[in-house]
Amino acid sequence: MYRSTDFAIADTCFLIDWVRFRRRDLIFKLFKTVFIPESVLREIKSESTVMWVALNLASGNLALYTEVFDEVEEARKITELSRRLPGAISVDLPEALCMAVGRRRGYVVLTENRGAIMFADLVSDYNDVIVWRSLEVLLALHMRRLIDADCNNLSMLFREYEEDTKHIFPERDLSNGVEVLRRELCSKN
Amino acid sequence: MLRAKVRTGDLSEARDIRRRYADWEFIEKQPPKIRAALIYYIESGDLYVASRIAGLTVEEFNELRIKANIPNVS
Repeated sequence: MYRSTDFAIADTCFLIDWVRFRRRDLIFKLFKTVFIPESVLREIKSESTVMWVALNLASGNLALYTEVFDEVEEARKITELSRRLPGAISVDLPEALCMAVGRRRGYVVLTENRGAIMFADLVSDYNDVIVWRSLEVLLALHMRRLIDADCNNLSMLFREYEEDTKHIFPERDLSNGVEVLRRELCSKN
Repeated sequence: MLRAKVRTGDLSEARDIRRRYADWEFIEKQPPKIRAALIYYIESGDLYVASRIAGLTVEEFNELRIKANIPNVS
């Protein structure tokens, strides 16, 4: 029996960075299936990315998510509301669709979009939607002991990710995360 | 359950990092649409809209972002 959080839905911005990571297959240790909306397929071009997506669609690690009319309508409402809320960062349709699916189906939403992260905090209907960036995915891999953590170098995996994808984790978020890992995984008590 | 969080100050911090790391010489040499899209990305961090301005797929624009040495900060 699977829980809804065994499933994730990834937007394009998350996926195209994640695919460049040398340990990209680790994500399938966290999730039974990662759904990708059909629009993602229109946004990938390079042979290595298309091949990785195709092979993982074939093996069932990835699955195509075909949105229905109501989900697209909800996504449109999210984009409008994000532009009306004072202080909110606007959400574009692709990640709004992932938020709608996250709310309806309980899937973890994988995105690097700050608007989507903020929206889940600000709008009560979306407070239960779990939104993760690559940072939280890497943290979860450690926390669930799906990879061996080196207590002398807990930031190693994060640095590898930054190097492969030219992605920079906010220093405060990374140091907070590493501190949590140190407490949870490396404390002797 | 882990949750991603965004603080208001994060946006300007991320923009400063993108501005600082960007290869401005490379950006200035690009055709107008590409240059505008790269500058939009530096200011906003929004890859999807930037790719639409450039007339490229998100992945093609992401390759360009890397060539222009603009980090994705999140």
